[in-house]
This record gives sequence, structure tokens and C-alpha cells, in this order.
Amino acid sequence: MRRIVITGIGIITPLGVGRESVWAGLAGGRSGISHIDCFDTSNLKTTVAGLCRDFTPEQFFDEREMSRLDRVSQLALAATEMARREAKLSDDELNSYDFGVIMGTGFGGQNSVEEFVGAYYSNGKGRRSAIVIPKSMYNAASSNIAIRYKTRGPNITISTACSSGANAIGNAFHLIRYGHAERMIAGGAEAPVTPLVMDAWKDMRVLSTKNEPAERACKPFSANRDGFVLSEGAGVVVLETLESALERGAHIYAEILGYGSTSDAAHITFPDPEGEAQAINRALKDARIGPEEVDHINAHGTATKLNDASETEAIKRVFGSRAYEIPINSIKSMIGHSMGAAGAIEFIAAVLAIEKKLVPPTINYEEADPQCDLDYVTEGPRRMDRGRPIRTAISNSFGFGGNNAVLVAREYSEQ
Amino acid sequence: MTRQAVESIEDVVKNIIVAELRVDRERLAPSTHLMKDLGADSLDALNIALRLEEAFKIKIPDEAIPRFLTIENIVQGVNEHLASN
Repeated sequence: MRRIVITGIGIITPLGVGRESVWAGLAGGRSGISHIDCFDTSNLKTTVAGLCRDFTPEQFFDEREMSRLDRVSQLALAATEMARREAKLSDDELNSYDFGVIMGTGFGGQNSVEEFVGAYYSNGKGRRSAIVIPKSMYNAASSNIAIRYKTRGPNITISTACSSGANAIGNAFHLIRYGHAERMIAGGAEAPVTPLVMDAWKDMRVLSTKNEPAERACKPFSANRDGFVLSEGAGVVVLETLESALERGAHIYAEILGYGSTSDAAHITFPDPEGEAQAINRALKDARIGPEEVDHINAHGTATKLNDASETEAIKRVFGSRAYEIPINSIKSMIGHSMGAAGAIEFIAAVLAIEKKLVPPTINYEEADPQCDLDYVTEGPRRMDRGRPIRTAISNSFGFGGNNAVLVAREYSEQ
Repeated sequence: MTRQAVESIEDVVKNIIVAELRVDRERLAPSTHLMKDLGADSLDALNIALRLEEAFKIKIPDEAIPRFLTIENIVQGVNEHLASN
């Protein structure tokens, strides 16, 4: 069986741009949530979101390029550029039929859609455009990556709501493992903080309305949690065979060991702990490890009433009494829920936790909930370098539609 | 058509091209070709046609777009469309 490793990381979140600044924020327990100031929120109940304020597209693109790229593609391409630089991939290495791309997104080029919708309903006054379709189509991000870097292998977009990014990385991993590609760019990107999307979520009543202070809005696993906080961002990893990484002398962040994917096949939004538990089980089986080997869980942890209780139950079904001993965190408490990017960003956070031997905290935990009684690392960042050092972590992603995806990462070791 | 009007059409055309393609105005001579000289592609040409339609309140048929590729051809085409309206 081929071994697949992570050799490049590109990440953009409300906590910063790039692996180091994002990690500094996560490890420091900082919140990236702030008040929305890019459009009028006076009709909304939720006025906070996770905006990537440090992301300056001008650093990555000229004006002409920006006009052709929806924000979601800008985030995806910028994250890819960081990942490929870290992985030290040359243009020649990228330009290959053995190099592919899989990206996840839940909303695609939503900003471009909304601009066009505005023009459409403006009785001819709005600005029409011939490039709305190529900017807004869901596969724009992955296709723009392939076009820019000349990766000629598989180019696939996955849209499974909140688990898109995790399914993207999992499928990319399997494409390499089973010989369909040698190297993959994989991850997720999302730019959903728009007037229409915020308004539509409002009617679903799943967003937190704890607007003051913004930094404390998202309270995963806390009894007084009242919903998730929408955010934007991108996470991209470079995956390649161990052989290829060693041959190139690339830095290996961790090994990707397993991927499990299931469908609740139940309700379009109501989560089912059994579907989630089976996704974890299948990921562990794919990784050929037992539940006793898992040292850390990066939870989906959205801070909705339903998700956090259901996920806690799923973890108990898989890990039994050991569930209480595993440090579990939700970094959504700090960066919000970036939908199709979240699974990729959280997988990267789990990989960095393994590398740094430190589990970032779940912040904003205030009240115990009897339905959520596991160890959510609420006291602050936790060092895990002695006793039982963190070697193996899983990252859970559970999407609307009942789409569950779980990834397993392990510290790289030679045998 | 007065000299003044011709110049202003050319100005509007140039403004549209500068805005759509993000190029310096100095690069725009009468014979400048949108694709060969300015790196535009077919999508740019379509967007420029949209802007021309809005600016001059004209309708540019699909088959005319391939002729709208140099500054002088565009100005001439706009003039023809304005005259026929």
C-alpha cells in the first residue's frame, strides 16, 4: 500500500494568512470573528462573521486577474500558491498528467452570482457581464488552480456542504493511494459572507445571534451555544507519495492515513450520530488503526444545539469510555464555520497540532451541557508532548445533506 | 456626424477598453487589436460589447463581434449602428 504524506500547507482564515500566523492565532486561543462592515446588516439578526481581513488579493493577483476571479477562487489560488511554495514544487513538477487537483466548496462563486442577480433585477440599470458563469461555477476554483499551475491530472470539485474540504482531501488521498495520480493539490475554499447568504441563514435560525461581543459569539459544546458563525477562508494541502517526498527532500508535515465517508440518508439538515460514527469507524478502518490509537479529535463542533450533541454521541459510540480521555477541540470557536473550506482548514489544524504537539483550545466555553460532557480543551491551549504525546489525530466534518467525512493524520515515522 | 461626436465616441470606446482590460490609455492607437496587442480573450470581447451596448444604447449582433476588435473598427461599428438606429 502506498503511503501518502502532506508536504505543503496553504491556509487563509479570519486569524491570518499563512500557516504561521493562523497557527499563532489558534494556539493563542484568539478569535477572528468580527462585525460585518462590508454590507448593510440592519435587517439581519446576526451581524458578526469570520472575515479574512488580512487577505489582500493584490499581493497575489494583478487587477486584470482579480476581475476574472470570484473571491472564492482568489482565496483558493492564494492558498495553493502558499502550499506549493512550501512544498517547493517546481513548475516542471506541477506540469504533469500525474498531478491533480480536488477542491471543495459549498457555495462556489456566490459573490459573482449576487452581483449578477442584482443586475438582473435592476430593470436594465445594473452592470451585466459575460463572465458571471466562469466566475461563479462551482469548479472555477479547482479549474483556475489547474490552469495557473498546469496540473493536467484529475481536476474535480466536490460540493458536500460543510464536509466538502474533507471529502476533497480524502478523495485526493485515495487517488494517489490507488495510483490515479502521484501528487495532488487538495482542499477547500469558501467566500459565503454575502448579503443574500446571511439573510437566507437567518431564516433557518442556525446562526448565532450573540453579536456582542463578536469574539464570543461562537460557543461550541457550551450549554448556552446558539448557532454557528459564518466565515470565509481556504485550506490547501499538497499530498504526494512518501517516495516522491523523500526523493525531493520535501518537508513532511504528517502522513495522511485514512479517510471515511458516509451518508446519514436520513434528513437534509438534522444530523444522525450513527452516520457520523460510521464515518469515523470507516476512516479508522481505512487507516488500519484501532480507536485506542487516536490521541486527538478536531471536531466539527459548529456550536449549533444539534451538531454538538450529535457529534458527542457519535464519538462515544466509536470510542466508548475512552471518549472521555481524548482531547477534542472545535477551532470554529475562533474562526467560525467556513463551510466548504472548514474540513480542509480543520484537517490542517489537526496536522499542525500533531507537529507542534499542542491542541488549540475551544474558546468561549461557558456552561456545562449534560449532552456534551467530553474533554473539549476549554481551559486554553494544551501541550501534548509528554505522557501520551499526540501522534494520531482525526478531523470530523459533517455536512448538511447528511454528508459525513473523517480524515486521519499521523506523525510521520519511517516504519 | 460632426468631428466632435466622432472624437467623443472614440473617447468612450477607449474608456471602456481601459476599464475592462486594465491597460494604459497610451497603448490605444487606432489600429490596436484587443487580442493581438492587448491580450484580450473572447470573454473580454464579449464584456466590451456589453459595455458598448450600454454606453451607446445599441444592439451588437453576435456575428458583428468578431469585427469589433481594433479601436478603429469598433468606432466605425458603433457609428454604423448609431446611424442605422
